[in-house]
Amino acid sequence: MINIFQVAYKNLLRKKTRSGLTIIGIALAAWVLVSLLGFNKGYESSLNSDIDNLGYQVLVTAKGCPYEAATLMLKGGIGLRYMKQRIADSIAKQPEVDKITPMLMQAVFDPNKGESGGITAYLGVDPKTFPKMKSLLEFKQGVWFSDPNAYEAVLGYEAAELEQREVGDKLLIPDKNIELKVVGILKRTGTQDDGTIFVPLNALQNIFDKKGELTGIGIKVKKDADINKFEERMYDLPDVQVVSLSQVKQTIMTLVSTARVMVLSIALIAILISVVGVINTILMSVMERFQEIGILKSMGAMAGDIFKLIWLETLVLCLSGGLIGTVLALVTAKLTDILIRRILPYAPRGGLVRIDFSLVLLTLGLVTLIGLLSGIYPSWKASRVRPLEAIRSEVE
Amino acid sequence: MNMHIINLTLILVLITTTSLFAAVGCDLNDPDRDVKRLFPESTGYKTLYLSIEKKGGKSLLHQIEQRLGDNFKGLYETADVPYTIYQIYRGKELVGYIHGVNQKGQYGGIQVFLALDLEGNVKAFYFQKLTSKYAKQFREAKFGEQFVSLNLKDFYNYDVVSGKITGPSRVEKIKNPAAEAEPDFRAALRATKKNLILVDEFLLGNKYLKYFKPQ
Repeated sequence: MINIFQVAYKNLLRKKTRSGLTIIGIALAAWVLVSLLGFNKGYESSLNSDIDNLGYQVLVTAKGCPYEAATLMLKGGIGLRYMKQRIADSIAKQPEVDKITPMLMQAVFDPNKGESGGITAYLGVDPKTFPKMKSLLEFKQGVWFSDPNAYEAVLGYEAAELEQREVGDKLLIPDKNIELKVVGILKRTGTQDDGTIFVPLNALQNIFDKKGELTGIGIKVKKDADINKFEERMYDLPDVQVVSLSQVKQTIMTLVSTARVMVLSIALIAILISVVGVINTILMSVMERFQEIGILKSMGAMAGDIFKLIWLETLVLCLSGGLIGTVLALVTAKLTDILIRRILPYAPRGGLVRIDFSLVLLTLGLVTLIGLLSGIYPSWKASRVRPLEAIRSEVE
Repeated sequence: MNMHIINLTLILVLITTTSLFAAVGCDLNDPDRDVKRLFPESTGYKTLYLSIEKKGGKSLLHQIEQRLGDNFKGLYETADVPYTIYQIYRGKELVGYIHGVNQKGQYGGIQVFLALDLEGNVKAFYFQKLTSKYAKQFREAKFGEQFVSLNLKDFYNYDVVSGKITGPSRVEKIKNPAAEAEPDFRAALRATKKNLILVDEFLLGNKYLKYFKPQ
């Protein structure tokens, strides 16, 4: 015996094109919705991971440093600003501070890099504190340097590949004509560390005659500390600039939220259009089957049975569209990722669109809810058909 | 407020995304400028991306190593390294090639580029990158000029491992610009030989294979 699900299914098959187009409409709306929610999840998580990979939550630089960092890229680091190492000592004494790591960036102009020369940069780091803060870094070869005064280097993977260096090789600092011994090659991280040449802090200070001077201090705050209060106090320090990574994250998220609101609006419009499409399709189907519904009622079908049948048809349409849209979003996630990266001014590493099981369930739930709501009016209309009126209209 | 946002964004971009090195590989730094400099008569170029792994896999790698007289070594000299070859055109006519390879030097990486005519003869020799105490001497025009008109046939009698000439070869006329720079001098010659072999394999249909006598 045929059940109510089969009847609903067969009814939809009677007008294949119409049902198909309605399903496509719902699928497109679901696709946009899943991709958008996936982007929402993926972007924030990738941004968090980018910031976590830095190893610190607050970065203190000498005042004017961001501008001079741009100069470093353009002019060879001649305009770098410095702060005294004692600032690092005073920051370390703050109650909120868990760990600090002092850093010194130096760059040399290498006339033999390319046709018109290029910049080679070195990051002086403290062997005691930096590796602990950057615990995610793994080695392809070798280990971190242990002596803060040693003329040694650890190279990010890309830096090592460009310089064709392996552990035990020599590395020349052009201009200074000083040799470093390569003691470690890092694995690829997909971050700026890949292109960095790390040198012990004291050694780099000696080489560049910058004893007691730093360009940055990375700060890791204690878990239970009030980071905002701490940052406020840091802003009072003279001649330094405080970069709060949580603030940076918030700023980036604010910038991205504009794009997100626009796409969300488009998704809402798409959903509204598909709801109207569903109502229209089901309503037309009810009108066309006016007499048929009348006959069903005259044969004993109750208003509730008719309501259920029509509501089920709506649900089948919406669920099919929702499923197709979700699969489409999963299949095209990579492509969506590439497109978003082209549009956004700043995109973190890692997947920008993350679609997981809970997101799929949420979307299907939403689409089902929309289906149920949009099916109420056509189903109610069908359940109100009077058998005699319907049969007579056929005779007329 | 806007300036504040721009500053913060700039900082994040600098600390999280800026790599102080260009993408690793052996591409010309500025192809438009460099092609015009090496082939002044050119009107355009096409870029090909090839690798030993894709072109012929292990057997091709073995053949290249035999012709080179040395094995590929270390972390970076592997069969999957992508090589960028520039085909140079004057109008629709192909007039030559430019190809570069990475080579391990004594103090850092060396990138040797060759501009070649259609027969595989060197038109110009060029260090795109050279980390060496003797970089200045190596980059003098007279050093590069010694390579002009040489081809792979000349390099078969140069042993890249011992740095010795094993038979008649015009390579013996190439002079090391600084006696202390012997490792980098040999690195430059090895890079040139490897470069010429790869061009022969990838583009010239192994035209010079007939001159190769396995040792």
